[in-house]
Amino acid sequence: MANFVIRPATAADCSDILRLIKELAKYEYMEEQVILTEKDLIVGFAMYYFTYDPWIGKLLYLEDFFVMSDYRGFEIGSEILKNLSQVAMKCRCSSMHFLVAEWNESSINFYKRRGASDLSSEEGWRLFKIDKEYLLKMAAEE
Amino acid sequence: MVSVRIREAEEGDCGNILRLIRELADYEKLSDQVKISEEALRADGFGENPFYHCLVAEILPVPGEPQGPCVVGYGLYYFIYSTWKGRNVYLEDIYVKPEYRGQGIGSKIIKKVAEVALDKGCSQFRLAVLDWNKRAMNLYKALGAQDLTEAEGWHSFRFEGEAMRELAGK
Repeated sequence: MANFVIRPATAADCSDILRLIKELAKYEYMEEQVILTEKDLIVGFAMYYFTYDPWIGKLLYLEDFFVMSDYRGFEIGSEILKNLSQVAMKCRCSSMHFLVAEWNESSINFYKRRGASDLSSEEGWRLFKIDKEYLLKMAAEE
Repeated sequence: MVSVRIREAEEGDCGNILRLIRELADYEKLSDQVKISEEALRADGFGENPFYHCLVAEILPVPGEPQGPCVVGYGLYYFIYSTWKGRNVYLEDIYVKPEYRGQGIGSKIIKKVAEVALDKGCSQFRLAVLDWNKRAMNLYKALGAQDLTEAEGWHSFRFEGEAMRELAGK
């Protein structure tokens, strides 16, 4: 396996990031065969931001995390996670949070093998959303 | 019916907010997990780079009564980002003291957060609920919320403390 490097994204990476976002979206609905070309240098990404737990303080929230399927099995995902956890510690975050779909067994195993816990199963947390049309209804009421 | 005002929290509200955070944790049967200090809340919410925003519900005194307004509820939220939908708002905590429930204060707080969300160009509002908290789930569903864990199978995961340190290679 060729050497790889994990580095922060720059503005110039946006078209590659968008390509990977689309691939991740497809993956989350069905398995996808990825066709490689020699130009595919960027093979994975992680998108994160900081959130807040009023009981503890700052958290790192991992919104998207993806490695192209042909590049899996080479510890690239592990290296990305290591990088992220170092960012989290440097920024004094007490933990990293993220979502996983319950059918996504390979991802669930990947995270659990590395010490992650499923808060939905363990503590009963359910994620809810309110779409824009209902926000508009709420804001219009008086 | 008391007169209630929903307003943005100020630094001076942090003591009250911490008290209500502890009450909410107690209600969620997880009170041993509250480790935060008032100083951290001040620094994290009212410094140069806030990590959260907070609204408080204040009961306004009846004319002639000696005591001032009193904070009886809060909503703590922050902005998040979906790579599919863009800007969203996440309501992390919402709490109204038990003796003030049933008067629409919770709905007023949520509505105010919805207004902020729309004002900032957000297309979605997210929050988490404990599966036994039927009263809260019914309130949110009445406002148009959908349970994504049920509908799409999303589970919340975390790496914390020791697990995170190990990942970092420390």
